[in-house]
Amino acid sequence: MGRTTYLQGQKAAGRKVAAVWPARYPAELLWAHGVCPAEVWDPPAGQALAGAHLQSYVCGVVRQGLEFLLSGGLAVADFLLFPHTCDSIQNLGSLVRDLVHEPKPCLFFYPPRSGGSERAAVYLEAQLRTLSADLTRIAGPLRDGALEGALALGRGRTAAVSELYALRARGGLNASNAEFYGAVRACEYLWPEDAVLHLKAFTKTHAGRQRRGVPLVLSGVLPAPSDLAQRLDGLGVAVVEDDLLVCGRRFARAPLPEPGDPWKAVAARLLALPPCCTTGDGVEDRAAFLAEQVERSGARGVVFLALKFCEPELFQIPSLSGAMRARGIPVLIVETELGTTTPAGMMTRVEAFLESLP
Amino acid sequence: MRVASELRFRWMKDVALPVLLKARERRPRERPRGESPLGPPLESTRSLKRLMTRHYALARYAEGARPVAWVTSGAPVELLRAFGCYTVYPENHAALCGARRMGPEICAHAEEAGFSRDLCSYARVDLGHALSGLTPVGRLPRPDVLFCTNNICQTILYWFKELSHGEGIPLVMLDTPFIASGEGTPEVFDYVAGQIKDAVPALERITGREFREDRFHDVLRSSIRASALWGDVLATMRHRPAPMTVFDAFVHLAPVVSLRGLPSCERYYEGLLAELQERVSRDVAAVPGERHRLMWDNIAIWFALAPLSRLFAEHGWAGVAGTYPNAWAETTHYLDLADPFGSLAKTYTLIFLNRGLDYRLGLMEAMGRDYQADGLVLHSARSCKPYSVGQYDLRQALAQRLGIKSVVLEGDMTDFRTWSEEQAKTRLTAFFESLDG
Ligand code: SF4
Ligand code: SF4
Repeated sequence: MGRTTYLQGQKAAGRKVAAVWPARYPAELLWAHGVCPAEVWDPPAGQALAGAHLQSYVCGVVRQGLEFLLSGGLAVADFLLFPHTCDSIQNLGSLVRDLVHEPKPCLFFYPPRSGGSERAAVYLEAQLRTLSADLTRIAGPLRDGALEGALALGRGRTAAVSELYALRARGGLNASNAEFYGAVRACEYLWPEDAVLHLKAFTKTHAGRQRRGVPLVLSGVLPAPSDLAQRLDGLGVAVVEDDLLVCGRRFARAPLPEPGDPWKAVAARLLALPPCCTTGDGVEDRAAFLAEQVERSGARGVVFLALKFCEPELFQIPSLSGAMRARGIPVLIVETELGTTTPAGMMTRVEAFLESLP
Repeated sequence: MRVASELRFRWMKDVALPVLLKARERRPRERPRGESPLGPPLESTRSLKRLMTRHYALARYAEGARPVAWVTSGAPVELLRAFGCYTVYPENHAALCGARRMGPEICAHAEEAGFSRDLCSYARVDLGHALSGLTPVGRLPRPDVLFCTNNICQTILYWFKELSHGEGIPLVMLDTPFIASGEGTPEVFDYVAGQIKDAVPALERITGREFREDRFHDVLRSSIRASALWGDVLATMRHRPAPMTVFDAFVHLAPVVSLRGLPSCERYYEGLLAELQERVSRDVAAVPGERHRLMWDNIAIWFALAPLSRLFAEHGWAGVAGTYPNAWAETTHYLDLADPFGSLAKTYTLIFLNRGLDYRLGLMEAMGRDYQADGLVLHSARSCKPYSVGQYDLRQALAQRLGIKSVVLEGDMTDFRTWSEEQAKTRLTAFFESLDG
């Protein structure tokens, strides 16, 4: 079933649908209000309409998201949510609401940048309550126990993703890169219970000895262009872990202690996600996380997908790749863009990298 | 060691530099002023040069004598001044590098180290300087602390984190949540004010100095006054003919950015304001025969400031307003000595770059009316996303609301590798003609 058909089904079941831009947001709160989030990362869209609003130096995620919206691709959504991820998304949200005059409600959410401080937690909690008030207007109030229920759904989904990742890292998953990312990225729009069923079914079907391949870790925003995972399969690369903003950087690898208060629990989950440039985490933390992924998966190197015009990522790649090299981990940095076809030059560089690995 | 540094700093500040600067001023001007479509240059420009040259020259001797802080343009510098920090603004330094046409040369060092050419060129200049030492000001002092606020962009956060990581320098960061709509909530201001308060013990630790409240209050008072004076300076351009242009404003904003909170900054703007008021009283025009008045959006194209200023003047165009220079006069009215931390939080959170585009549109509309602008130039700065993304639609909306024509210039602040002077000239000339026609 396609994404839009699935989301129409959600609406028929009485839920609201939110189009959510990258990257980090309190999904549990949306679920608790009966809202199914559908994330907008790299939707299939051209360039025709967004060009009138955006300069050529804006990243593909923002461009394609706007294009998709303007061409009616998000008609199914009841409202839009813009987490404050970077300068470009900040302005996109404001542009869509204030100047393009999108008739659907546009909500904003600001993940604090001051690390795990107590002040950040307090501010985050206050914001969750503000967002909840907005959601109440759109989707109705929170029912008793709804947030606790949503937290349980979140735990279930995280456990299912973690299991899949752990299996892959241990060499126990007989799935291609394309199959793996297809399965995990379905969580971008599936209702959490459906996501868990889907992930479990995938795990069951694909449990088994990993296919041969050179084990690598991917770092970046998302696997782009859209045929990249498949092309890596073709080259004999087995992606065994990732630090991708869309996937591996959005769930904690180990279960977290959860505060009893559900609001604090939602805030704590967000603050405990793996280190990320978009929330202001430093290179040291990111390097430690990445090195841990390399170690736990036995990867032989890291490929950095440097997404064109993505400031948060591009700033840290030099130091982060340097930190990997300093640990003796081979790295490759390739510039990438959204689109459907991986350029031949990029594949040649990956091939050369594979040949150079010790 | 500290005593020797202190003595050296004082000797330079009180004895050597004043003599050197005087001697420099006595030298004949290297380039006689040829035919120019511009009005008489501002006398205050000499004081400005003296002030900024002194600031950068003295910076070299500050190391060891004063705690040195590198600061972002939107940070509450008042707090640092209460610790007697010597402050350096990498953005101001990058603008200077841009104006001296050193941008690409310095950026290249950052790019060689792996920083993408698509990143903010202010950041690339700064990182390139850190790697190469290249600068038009001799040398910048090594910072003891980096002080950064993400109210102007998130880029600044990545950039300062990078500096902190690469050089092992402590970073004090204030997170100012984006105000998508409205006037901000108590929760936001409590969050920001709390972080400013937390910065006090952190700065005490780093600088080894005690926080002095009396000094803090003096600095705040001075900062309020300097920003108000700067606002008055800009307001003189409401007069027809304008006594200075937005291009002058770009140059003369350096003190309110870099020296805000110091008496020298106040004194400077007192002098500049007096000169401008005198010009207004005599109807001295920055652009003789001023026919049209325009508003400029975004940061200056530093490397092309002089040619653009001439080109505008040749066509009888006076740039009379700019969103960028206005930023340093925009929110200081929130500062309140009775609530220094809370009001600092408001002042620095509510700047226009940290607010939704509807706010920016309203601000530009009001500026357009106040300054009687009949044209708008939008500099689409390739490497500054927060300022540039949304400009195409702002342009349309302003055309509707103000009935003014506009032109977009694709450029950059410092990196002229993607800039074509000829193309810009052709585009602008066509724009000027469309207005005259
Ligand atoms: S700049 Fe980077 S983080 Fe921001 S939307 Fe684009 S890809 Fe995502
Ligand atoms: S991105 Fe823009 S606002 Fe931020 S530092 Fe660069 S030039 Fe300044």
